[in-house]
Amino acid sequence: MRSLRTFWLRLRGLFVSGSDFDAELESHVALHADAGIRAGLTPEEARRQALIRLGGAEQTRQAHRERRTLPWLESLVRDFAYGLRTLGKHRVVTAIAILSIGLGIGANATIFSMVSRFVLRPAPVGDPSSLLTLKTVHDGDECCNDFPLPVFKDVRDQTKSFSGVAAYDELITASIGGNGEPERVWGQAVSANFFDVLELPMVVGRGFASGEENAQQIVIGAGLWQRRFDSDPAIAGKTVMLSGRLFTIIGVAPASFHSVDQILNAEFWVPLGNAAQMMPDPANSTSRHMHWLAVVARLKPGVTRPQALAELKTLAARLAIAYPDTDKGNGFVIELAGLLSQSDSKRMGLFLAALGIVVLLVLSIAGANVANLLFAQAAGRQRDMAVRLALGATRGRLQRQMLIESLLLGLGGGALGVLLSLWSTRALSTLHLPAPVPLDLTISVDWRVLLYSFVLSVVCGILFGVAPAWAASRPLLANALKGEDALARPGRRITMRNLLVVAQIAMSVVLLCITGLFLRSLESASGIDIGFRSQNLLIMSVDPRLHSYTPERTAAFLTQLRQRAASLPGVASAAITDYAPLSMGGRSDGFSVVGGPDGDNSPSTDLYMASPGFLETMGIPRIAGNDFSNETATEQKVGIVNQAFVDRILKGKNPIGVLVNGGGVNYRIIGVVGNIKSRSLGEETRSVIYRAMVQNVGSDPSFLGYTLVVHTAGDPAGVAEAVRRQIHALDPAMAIFNEQTMEEHVQAAFFLPRLAATLFGTFGFIGLVLASVGLYGVMSYAVSRRTREIGIRMALGAQPGTVERLVLRQGMVLTSIALVLGWPAAWMLSKLASSFLYGIQPHDAFTFAIVPPLLVMIALAACWIPARRAASVDPMQALRTE
Amino acid sequence: MGDKKDVWQGTLALMVLRTLETMGPLHGYGLARRIEQTSGDLLQLNYGTLYPALLKLEQEGAIRSHWGVSENNRKAKFYELTKAGHREVKKAAAEWEQTTAILDRFLNPAHEA
Repeated sequence: MRSLRTFWLRLRGLFVSGSDFDAELESHVALHADAGIRAGLTPEEARRQALIRLGGAEQTRQAHRERRTLPWLESLVRDFAYGLRTLGKHRVVTAIAILSIGLGIGANATIFSMVSRFVLRPAPVGDPSSLLTLKTVHDGDECCNDFPLPVFKDVRDQTKSFSGVAAYDELITASIGGNGEPERVWGQAVSANFFDVLELPMVVGRGFASGEENAQQIVIGAGLWQRRFDSDPAIAGKTVMLSGRLFTIIGVAPASFHSVDQILNAEFWVPLGNAAQMMPDPANSTSRHMHWLAVVARLKPGVTRPQALAELKTLAARLAIAYPDTDKGNGFVIELAGLLSQSDSKRMGLFLAALGIVVLLVLSIAGANVANLLFAQAAGRQRDMAVRLALGATRGRLQRQMLIESLLLGLGGGALGVLLSLWSTRALSTLHLPAPVPLDLTISVDWRVLLYSFVLSVVCGILFGVAPAWAASRPLLANALKGEDALARPGRRITMRNLLVVAQIAMSVVLLCITGLFLRSLESASGIDIGFRSQNLLIMSVDPRLHSYTPERTAAFLTQLRQRAASLPGVASAAITDYAPLSMGGRSDGFSVVGGPDGDNSPSTDLYMASPGFLETMGIPRIAGNDFSNETATEQKVGIVNQAFVDRILKGKNPIGVLVNGGGVNYRIIGVVGNIKSRSLGEETRSVIYRAMVQNVGSDPSFLGYTLVVHTAGDPAGVAEAVRRQIHALDPAMAIFNEQTMEEHVQAAFFLPRLAATLFGTFGFIGLVLASVGLYGVMSYAVSRRTREIGIRMALGAQPGTVERLVLRQGMVLTSIALVLGWPAAWMLSKLASSFLYGIQPHDAFTFAIVPPLLVMIALAACWIPARRAASVDPMQALRTE
Repeated sequence: MGDKKDVWQGTLALMVLRTLETMGPLHGYGLARRIEQTSGDLLQLNYGTLYPALLKLEQEGAIRSHWGVSENNRKAKFYELTKAGHREVKKAAAEWEQTTAILDRFLNPAHEA
């Protein structure tokens, strides 16, 4: 405390003049002189004695000043000011260095903001360190499942490790009132203690209280509050229509909270008792079979995670005995809430690791550039340094000065990098995954990113400044003072600068190979045949279930909508499905032939609903059989399968009329159509069955609503308004969502290859530019150093062409060494990228064949300008100037 | 910075504190003279070293200063102990006594018997 006070006072002392002390000193001398005069001295002699006893007024002032202020800080500030002036004098060098480091740190900060967002950020709840996610796991399964309702109750009532256990249905949909047209929103149904277990305070109002399990009450998210209720501060107690039922709004959740897992973007919460009305299959909700609840638990203070896990293990054993049919072999796992589950984090980790390596390469290349620039600058300042050394400055002082300059460059680059990452994270946040559920994937520059960038810039500044500083502080004095090159040590062929440039080019080889792979991957992805038309299609979704429609009314509504849309001008055809392909997921089941051998039990066949005309509207070619026509809900269910279904499940037999079973339902196959990419572009072709819509709307309703697909003659966006009007003519309250052209939808499916190609392409390009600038710099410097030698050579009869080749050869030697080092490294590292590539091998021959010659060409270009300059050296001029 | 000076500065601070405790507010010159007198003129202070020591004590909050008028009508800066300063004297004096007592045992082992 006291030393802090002293430090503060001394820091303030820096800005206070010493005039007060001058007065005190004067008064001291006067008092002392008075005493002397009283003792009989002359006034002059008395004053002289007083000053002698003081030990010199100036020395005393100096000692006092050093005590009053912070001398080390002052000299540091002086060094910084001098450093800033020096950098200001060499504007071009400074700008290039800051730009280089800025690009490098910007890239790193961008990637790190992803790490921070998806790996490091704790859940936005009270004390994230004691909030756990509970999952059930079956023996032999790799990972885990949600909870059946009764099992959740067992855990809640029979464990002592937790102060609270809450359950929630991760995603339910509802249409909500408020401002404007009704909107379909996503939310969660939660147990009444949910917000208490999370320790999440509300912005307005309160969370649910115990005993409100079935209350028609709703907590809304801050986004929804803003969007549909104008951030009304007195919203608590007001009512809102939620899927046709009246709910009382009791609270608003904080803006930072979307869901415990931080990925799903839920916008409202209702008590679990309301879930039945909002979920697709309420009948099973109380069975021990149906795993549908996510569970979080708050550890009691003092209880450790292993203790809690041990208690859950004994509970699982008890349950296995009590309910052998359902619970045998079941166990529990716990994870810290809010972090990615293990399986997700593995894949995410791999992606981020690959990106991390790439951006570190970019930064290293940038740093090597800066080090090279500093070397060149040190060469230009050797005389200055030599003079200062000769005048008695220590090497340490000069090194400190140089290091402060590179530190300033690092910090400047860091600041630029943070600015760049502010922009890039915003750009990345606007991309959205083509998933049918709402995901919150926004990334931003948070304090962790700032800290990381700061540390990185300091490390860069010091790391890349150390070698040049060391070299610059040891010039050969005699040479330097004579005006000759004093940094080049005689007889040394491998210079630090050459090593740097070799490292740089080697890193660019790695970078270019990885970039090439991802560009090739994007190219190959865009060549993928998705199996349906993407031009001239408009899609638009509705969910009549959210408006309390009965299945019959839903079917009637959808049929009418199809007819109305089809008769619009400019529309060729219209059809209904449950959701469009390439939505990253959807319904799937295992299928087998009825009466035949067991098919595959894994849910590998994707299920779509289709109205008559759907396949034709989508442009999916019919191979055999018929389309749907006028099936009814009561007769035998029929389906149309794709070629992959025939190949895999029917083993190529004639499929027409065959009865197949999936998910406990039988379908008679009436047609065969071509394959499509069903979930994602990168997938192995999946087997698909299209089911007649009217036969399934009642028995197996879609959880994701229904999608109208409109095939237009012209621009599909042009008819959107007319289609919307038709929907609202049928039901003015109907919420419309996912409205887009099929082209936009398919574009979104390119998300991953495009994201990867964009990121790697950008970083690869930056790295390549930086590396060629580095090579150019080194070659230019080499030429300027050898001007005299070249002059002599030419005076002795060397031709300009020979000189040019001399320089080019030097550049090529460096490049070749770098290629020999970098190519195998790239070959090994490319395996890392393999799981993110579409349709090409990680050891893609084209990429690995094209990179070396490409790099050689760029290197040649970078060397060519200095080589020309060398060739145009005028011997007379060169010999005279030195 | 040699160790000797530190020790010297430490003892100087204690002398300053102790003198201010017994004499009340004093200006720099008066303080220096008083210390010399108390030491029976065995100590000859370099007056210039007194002021940084005073400043250090002031920064640490043990003493405070204000401008006043001396006995012979000259403007002078007077120093006096703060509350923390009073505490500090007691503590430092006790520590110093202990230190000298220990050293005494080494220098005059006969005492022990």
